[in-house]
Amino acid sequence: MKPRVIIGTVAIVIFTSLLMWNFGNSIGSYVGFEDAELSGNRVHVIGKWVQDKPHGFDNERMVFTFYMQDETGEVRRVSYNRPKPNNFEDAESLVVVGTMRNGVLFSDDMLVKCPSKYNDASNLEISMN
Amino acid sequence: MIGIIGSAALVLAFVASLGAFGLYFFATQKNNPKLEKIGHVLFGLKGALVFFASALLVYLLITNQFQYFYVYNYTSSDLSLVYLWAAFYSGQEGSFLLWILCGYLVGMGLIKWTGDTYRSPVMFFLTLTQVFLLSMVIGVTIFGVHIGASPFRLTSAEFAHLPVFLSNPDFIPAEGSGLNDLLRSPWIIIHPPVIFLGFAMMAVPFAFALASLWKRKYHEWIYPALPWTLGANLCLLIAIFLGGYWAYETLSFGGYWAWDPVENASLVPWILGMAGIHTMLIQKRSKIAHKASIIFAILAYVTIVYQTFLTRSGVLGDASVHSFVDLGLYNQLLLFIVAVSVSGIILYAVRMKEIPSQKKEMPVFSREFFMFSGAMTLLIVSLVIIIGTSAPLIGKLFVANPTPPQPQFYNDWTLPFGLAIAVLTVMTQYLWWNKYKDTESFAGSLLTPTLSASFISVALIIVAQVSTILYMVYIFIAVFSIIGNGIVMSKLVKKNPKMIGGSVTHIGFAVLLIGFLGAAYDSPMLDRNTINYNAAVERGEVIDDDGFPVHQTLEVMKLDINQPRRVNDEYYVTFTDATISHENRPGEQRYRIEFEHVRSGKKFDVNPVVYPMIANSTAGNMSWTVDPEVQMGLLRDIYVYVSNSSMVERESSRVQTESSFQAVADRLMNGYEQSLTPEVNNLVRLKPGASRNLGQYKIEFDRFINMAEEDLPENAVVGVQASIKITNSQTRQTESVAPMYAILYNDGRNTVQSPVVELENFDFDLMFETIDTTTDEAHFRLIGIEDYIEDEWIIIAIEKKPLVSVVWLGTFLLMFGFSIAIYRRWGDQRVRTKQERHYGDV
Repeated sequence: MKPRVIIGTVAIVIFTSLLMWNFGNSIGSYVGFEDAELSGNRVHVIGKWVQDKPHGFDNERMVFTFYMQDETGEVRRVSYNRPKPNNFEDAESLVVVGTMRNGVLFSDDMLVKCPSKYNDASNLEISMN
Repeated sequence: MIGIIGSAALVLAFVASLGAFGLYFFATQKNNPKLEKIGHVLFGLKGALVFFASALLVYLLITNQFQYFYVYNYTSSDLSLVYLWAAFYSGQEGSFLLWILCGYLVGMGLIKWTGDTYRSPVMFFLTLTQVFLLSMVIGVTIFGVHIGASPFRLTSAEFAHLPVFLSNPDFIPAEGSGLNDLLRSPWIIIHPPVIFLGFAMMAVPFAFALASLWKRKYHEWIYPALPWTLGANLCLLIAIFLGGYWAYETLSFGGYWAWDPVENASLVPWILGMAGIHTMLIQKRSKIAHKASIIFAILAYVTIVYQTFLTRSGVLGDASVHSFVDLGLYNQLLLFIVAVSVSGIILYAVRMKEIPSQKKEMPVFSREFFMFSGAMTLLIVSLVIIIGTSAPLIGKLFVANPTPPQPQFYNDWTLPFGLAIAVLTVMTQYLWWNKYKDTESFAGSLLTPTLSASFISVALIIVAQVSTILYMVYIFIAVFSIIGNGIVMSKLVKKNPKMIGGSVTHIGFAVLLIGFLGAAYDSPMLDRNTINYNAAVERGEVIDDDGFPVHQTLEVMKLDINQPRRVNDEYYVTFTDATISHENRPGEQRYRIEFEHVRSGKKFDVNPVVYPMIANSTAGNMSWTVDPEVQMGLLRDIYVYVSNSSMVERESSRVQTESSFQAVADRLMNGYEQSLTPEVNNLVRLKPGASRNLGQYKIEFDRFINMAEEDLPENAVVGVQASIKITNSQTRQTESVAPMYAILYNDGRNTVQSPVVELENFDFDLMFETIDTTTDEAHFRLIGIEDYIEDEWIIIAIEKKPLVSVVWLGTFLLMFGFSIAIYRRWGDQRVRTKQERHYGDV
């Protein structure tokens, strides 16, 4: 074996292990509210905005509060420390990143899945009426 | 009918491309120019058919034919012509069409400009990509397998399960669901076509590499492939820039780059294309690295298809802000990747032994070695990004429902390699353009850039108060790269300006690195109170109502009108006024925020916009969108948006409470015309029939009422009443009054009588002051209204973003460098082709 090949192989192995180790650490797992509460860590929760519960931006505390239903059907309050994101109302789903404490998800990052799609027929029914 | 013709055209185009595919195969295999000519005819026919189908689709879009699902889904009748045109590629089906069209143009270019050696195999592989892309849009069922999604399918077929279509299959929706307001921006006109042109051009090096394997001519292909690869890279770069600028400037994503899968989808092929360009240059100059050039050319295209698969098959699910309709193309897209990769792998494996390879190892101290290392580093970077983007798939090795990695992962694993590349560019450029006797003389020549970079970076570090060691190293390397490449460039300019493409791009890259560092210093600009509050939160001293410590710091603040706030001890920031301008859309609001530098007193205004998203709003549920405004600066941008305001809340409640069946847009238009200014002037001037708003109060002047003789006061010469209605738009309280204005004649003098009317429902008074006969306006004074107009406020986010302009500068330098390189390589290639033809005749 040439020394270059050996050095190269060792380097690649070390590099790949480090990379994958770091990669594994930097990804999380999507969870429901109940698991989020149990873990206490920073988590990603997918859900839908519950429209008929109160929501809005609190001008005193500067947080945007709303209720979200996760994929298991649990509903919890979310406190987001930024203004309401664009497209929030039409999001077909939300990914909220934060930590869960005392039944409230405190979030500082939210991903709004904006609907370039309107595959649901709600608009069509409106235009019918 | 049009739909049937369109679908038929696409199916025919698919058949034609299959035919061309087969003809090119036999033309290559049997060296038969006649078959190749027929192949060209079929390829041209395919292009004509796709053009025709696209024209039909555009026609359906601009004529609002909502019976077609694509038209219904992406447009509405209020869209202007440009956006109706843009809707052509707003959806997946249309964007495939656009991609195919770009591929067709590229193919015509290849037919015209490619020499005899490679033409038919190159066209074979290009047609292969076209066959697959066309299969995505034909929408036919063969033997029970549904292939593709046609852009011409009908709304009634898509929604067949809905009662309205069950009872009346001929029902046509009166209105489409419209284009998302965020997309109604001029950027949508230009951004997608550039991307798809880049995607289509990247198929060229792929086709040439495979053609070289097929024809066993492993060297000459790089001459024609090089300018195409450069062109593809230029297109992707422009597209990435446009996307980044769009996201930053108008979409309020907060920055120009977010490592979103869709962004990565064009970045990875760009990086691999870049690696390919460099190995092709090594191959051209030193007749080595044939294998690497072939591999990179194949990889660049395979990653385009792979990332297309990731973003369009639905596997990314929740990882991206972009969402594409899952059209059920999963299997087809998978097949596409398999086809391009397998054809690459098999051809390469079959020929591997034949491909020229080096007899002896590359010496470490050589331009080839450095350049090759650079290309390898680019490969590593692209692998890292691919792994990150594939988190929803690869992450399953670690957790059950993997999320995308944090941006930190990407930053940590790409920037260090970026720095390595920056150093390698200097080494390579020095070795490329100079001859050195030994390593010592080479090291000697690097002394100047090293020393000057040290001085400059120390100065920069002190001025910018950089305290992190890593960042210091970072700055030094980037400056070193700028200076090193700058020296090379200045020498080349004198010799032959056509040759500076490489050094300009390398400078651009190093400038970009400097710009990226700015993002590490992004910070919200806040007033003293908020800063203190945040510090208390960090210390864990803030307790919420339930007795739990608060962990969330604030990034926005509330500004009351005309009350300056000292922000970051740097600016006095004042919200001075706001207007409902209706400028680009109904109901658009423009705010004026004044910045005054604390020390120099220099002032500037920033005008962020808030607008209602008409397409997605209903009266009961208005949704508003912010459009940030950026005060650009050489060293830092100030990024401002208004996230909420008294005016937004008032408008929402007004539109909500107005009991009409008008469309939301009409209600917005009929509303406020007023500006919101700090001084409340209690004088209102109105013509009959007009109205005005003061704060939340609306004052409507219906008409003059002529007074009957007996109602006039004593001695009146003339008298008139005004029919006035006052509404509080928040409480919906109203009151109608008829104040009087009369002129009396007493003792030889005219006097005015205009008694103050006390309002019953409101705590202020009204007086009909005078009539301006020149303008025909009546003047009303609302005495005491000042006290009841609510405070005007905004919630504002101000962010300082250092060195964003430097990022743009770096990008422009890259584009400029690429353009020079394309010009040079294209010229070389023309000369070569001419020579080839000339010798061919002899």
